Amino acid sequence: KMAAAGGLRRAGWRLWRSRAVVRCQRYPPARALQASAVLRRASDELKKEPLTSSSQQHFDSPPAGHQPEQEPQGPHPSYTGQGGQESEDYESEEQLQHRILTAALEFVPEHGWTAEAIAEGAKTLGLSVAAAGMFHSDGSELILHFVSECNTKLSKLLEKEQKLVQLGEAQKKPIDEFLRDAVEARLRMLIPYIEKWPQALSVLLLPRNIPSSLNLLTSMIDDIWHYAGDQSTDFSWYTRRAVLTGIYNTTELVMMQDSSPGFEDTWRFLENRVADAMTMSNTASQVQSTGEAVVQGLMGAAVTVSNAETSRAVR
Amino acid sequence: VPGGGAALRLCSTRVAQEAINKPVIDRIIRVDHAGEYGANRIYAGQMAVLGRSSVGPVIQQMWNQEKHHLKKFNELMVAYRVRPTVLLPFWNVAGFVLGAGSALLGKKGAMACTVAVEESISEHYNNQIRTLIEEDPEKYKELLQVIKQFRDEEQEHHDIGLEHDAEA
Repeated sequence: KMAAAGGLRRAGWRLWRSRAVVRCQRYPPARALQASAVLRRASDELKKEPLTSSSQQHFDSPPAGHQPEQEPQGPHPSYTGQGGQESEDYESEEQLQHRILTAALEFVPEHGWTAEAIAEGAKTLGLSVAAAGMFHSDGSELILHFVSECNTKLSKLLEKEQKLVQLGEAQKKPIDEFLRDAVEARLRMLIPYIEKWPQALSVLLLPRNIPSSLNLLTSMIDDIWHYAGDQSTDFSWYTRRAVLTGIYNTTELVMMQDSSPGFEDTWRFLENRVADAMTMSNTASQVQSTGEAVVQGLMGAAVTVSNAETSRAVR
Repeated sequence: VPGGGAALRLCSTRVAQEAINKPVIDRIIRVDHAGEYGANRIYAGQMAVLGRSSVGPVIQQMWNQEKHHLKKFNELMVAYRVRPTVLLPFWNVAGFVLGAGSALLGKKGAMACTVAVEESISEHYNNQIRTLIEEDPEKYKELLQVIKQFRDEEQEHHDIGLEHDAEA
C-alpha cells in the first residue's frame, strides 16, 4: 500500500486536503486530469501527507491519458472499513464540498457565482484554491447549493411556525396570508445576493441544470403547500402547485427589477397575485356549482319532457 | 480548465420520513389511489344504469366498500405526502364510461365487468404485498395490513360478481 501511495504522488494526484487525510473509497481518474494543470500552482501549498487510503483499482493504473468516461454521480461513500486507520475528523467528500460552497457564498456579492468565489471560500477554510477545480466554472453547483440551503431554511422556518400553532402559542394564519409570508420569507433570502441573482437564474435555466433546479423548485412549492395545510388528493393538488409556482416565479422576476425601499413594490405585487389566486379559486368553485345546478336543471327538464311524451303517446 | 465537476447531491427539502423507501411507497400509494378512484367511478357508472334494477342493491353495497377504500387511500396519501396521479380526470371519465357501458349490456355485462376488474385488482394487490414483504415486512406493517384487507374485500367482490354473473 505504501508503494501505491508513492506511485500516486508520481502520477500527479492532486492533494487538496492539506490538513487531515481524506479517505476516499473511489478516487475518480477524472480528478487527476483536471487537477494536473492546477497541481503545479497548488504544489507549493501542499503539506506532505501521504494518501494512505486503501483504495484499490483506480490507484493501480496511472490515469495519464485515460479518458474519464463516467462522472461520479450521487454520494461517495468514503468509509473504507480498513481496520484502525481512520482519523477522528473524518469527513466525506460531499460534506467537504458543502463546506466549501457555504464558505464561498460570502464572496458571491463581490465575485458573482464563479470559480473565484469558490476559490476564495476554499481559502478561508485553509484549503488550496485548486479546490475550486472540483466544480463547474459557471458556478452551477454553488447556485444549486445556495437554493437548496434556502429551501432547507424555509422548511425549518415553516416547521417552527407550525409547532407554535400546534402548541397554541400562535394563531393559524389564513391561507392567503400564509402563502404570502412564506414566499416573502423565501425571497428575502435572495436580498444579500440580489445584484448577482439574475446571473444565477440564467445558469439555473441551462439544460444541464434544469432537472436539479426544477426538482428544487417543485419540492419547495410542495413544502409550502404542505405547511399551509393542503390535503388535496385530487387534481387540485396540481392546480394549486402550478398557481403558487407562477406566483413565486413572477414575484422573483419583479424583485430583480425592484428599486423601491425595502422592496415594498415586490411585496405589494405578491399580495395582489395571491389575492388574484384566491379570487380565481373562488370563481372556479362558483362556476362548478353553477354548472352542476344547470346540468341538474337540464336533466329535470329532459325527464319532464319524456314523461309528457310518454303520457301523450299512451292517451 | 477543469470542467468535469463533482457530483453534488442536492437534497430536496422533503422531511425524512423514518427512512422508508419513498419511491416504492409513493408509487404503491399513487397507483392504489388511482385504482380505487377508478373503481369508484366504474360502480357509479353501473349504478347510473342499473341502480333501479334487481342488482342495484348489490352494486350499491360493493360501491360503498370501494368508497371506504378510496377514503383510506386519501388518508395514506396525505400521511406519506404522495402526489396523486395526473391522470385522475381521465380515470374519472373512463371509469364511468366503462361502468355505464358494461351495465348497458345488461346485468350479466355489468357483473362480468366487475369480475374482470376485481380479478386484476386482486392480482395487483398481491404483487404489492410481495414487494413490501421483500422490502421489510416490519417497517411497512400497517400498509401491508391495509393492502391485505383490501385485497380480501376485492376478492369478495370478484366472487359476488361471479355469483350474479352465473345466475343473471
